Amino acid sequence: MSEPPRRARPAGATVVPPAAESAPPRERTKAPTPFLLDFFPLEGEKETRLARFYARLAEGRLSTTRCPADGRLLWPPRTACPHCHAETLEWVDLPEDGRLYAFSAVLAGAPLGMEAEVPFAVGLVDLAGVPLRLFGRIEGKSWDALAIGDPVRVEPYALGDGRWFYRFRASP
Amino acid sequence: MSGRRVAVVGGVTTKFGLRPATWSELAQEVGAALFRSVPALRAEDVDSLFVGAAEPERFAFQSHAAPIVAEQMGIRPSRILQRTELACASGQSAIRSAYAAIAAGLSDVAVAVGLEKMNLPSMAEANTAMACVMDRAWDGPAGATAPPFFAMVAQRHMREYGTTEEQLAAVSEKNHRFANTNPTAQFYEKTFARDRLMRLPMIAPPLRLGDCSSMTDGAAAVVLAAENVVGRFPDPPAWIRGTGQYSDFHNLANAGSLTEWPGLAHAARTALRGAGISIGDVDFAELHDCFTISEIVEYEALGLCAPGAGGAFAADGRGDVGGDLVVNPRGGLLGCGHPLGATGIAQAVEVFQQFASKVPPARQVPDPEWALVHNLSGSANVHSVMVYGREGAS
Repeated sequence: MSEPPRRARPAGATVVPPAAESAPPRERTKAPTPFLLDFFPLEGEKETRLARFYARLAEGRLSTTRCPADGRLLWPPRTACPHCHAETLEWVDLPEDGRLYAFSAVLAGAPLGMEAEVPFAVGLVDLAGVPLRLFGRIEGKSWDALAIGDPVRVEPYALGDGRWFYRFRASP
Repeated sequence: MSGRRVAVVGGVTTKFGLRPATWSELAQEVGAALFRSVPALRAEDVDSLFVGAAEPERFAFQSHAAPIVAEQMGIRPSRILQRTELACASGQSAIRSAYAAIAAGLSDVAVAVGLEKMNLPSMAEANTAMACVMDRAWDGPAGATAPPFFAMVAQRHMREYGTTEEQLAAVSEKNHRFANTNPTAQFYEKTFARDRLMRLPMIAPPLRLGDCSSMTDGAAAVVLAAENVVGRFPDPPAWIRGTGQYSDFHNLANAGSLTEWPGLAHAARTALRGAGISIGDVDFAELHDCFTISEIVEYEALGLCAPGAGGAFAADGRGDVGGDLVVNPRGGLLGCGHPLGATGIAQAVEVFQQFASKVPPARQVPDPEWALVHNLSGSANVHSVMVYGREGAS
């Protein structure tokens, strides 16, 4: 899989306000059939109110929503704040860097579509400077070479059917 | 606790394991076994049926599950018929719903049944069903299932408190040993010494095969009755004296430290307060040992030992015969297998049979007065607790 385009991003750990939106979200996803046996979501704007999240991923940006009313950063991205129930949330980019809080690996028992990827590592990543701990696939190192505290970077990636998702890459 | 008093007055568990039977055949089997086991129960007296079934859509391609189970069991509910779904706690949800209906005066005699048929021709398909319990759109694409999540709990517990693989194996050895007294258990007549458990293949490091409960087919059912009709049933009742539940989060990003389960402490406090007792009064407990590490964290969250001391609690046999209390005399999920919807019901069957002195002597708790049942669901994000007493509230 080719490396996604990356946006220049300010160093450091603060959440940056969104730049002007560029590429618009796609209308519809070319989804596999049967879709209900596929774990990846529908990403088009006729299918989800979070289409902007996937459009930004395709630009190399992992982002989420923040509630302007109470300032809380929300994960996963939402359409309504669970605290004050405001529905006008804003998009913010997340830091690229994080550290492993915990990890394991799937050595057996993978779901459909993931059997060929076994063994694969998964983990919880503390993103630098924000109160978010994200779960995801950990690439770049075998699970038995990983350690708690290892630095990892956010890596948006293309699924090959027009859709995008995110994972983390450990430094070699 | 308010409303009418409610008791479990009978119950039965089918054989758990890889069953050469379909989902609906398991419903027929548990229905026939229930009516045989509780001769005082007449089908026409069952006014309500609650069906604990986690994923019949995924495992059996069957929705509208409650009426088909009613038909298979030979029950025609006239008051309340519903399915309860709370993943691994679907069975206890059925009991809690039946309890609430009876306490409120909406039902007099209810059956809570749980069943799951988890073994499919393709285990990848079964694993997909299990993965649906997670937040599908966000955690699912990474390959989140229960084993890697609970493995991370174990990893953090080992790092923060020095918990060892030997201590994990102590939980598995104990529960498999109890399962050897239980012919309905998936691992009946299969013994696992600690050193053998620690040589089994790794599934999700640091968890090995023996640290994980199984994909299991099975069913269980209990009869619940209002205080004014309990006397129709000759066996000693198991009175529901308290119940509590707490839901913390769902997405794994919101799982907190992993090693503290405040939701369990909250649910247990509510249930114990309802019964008017403390955890030290409990004679035996059926705890949700979906993984060995789960039972260890549960000791701590329930206040049976200090935070971090759960591994030593297991290794020192404090949850074993002769210890502080007996934990998982039925054999636990590790020894019995874990047919999701059936598990919570089978735990209640164990409580009923312990109170009625109907279990084999090797696991009979002497003169138990109080029992606590716990189920977690998903990534330990929801905790459901019930407290049963041999005596009804005065």
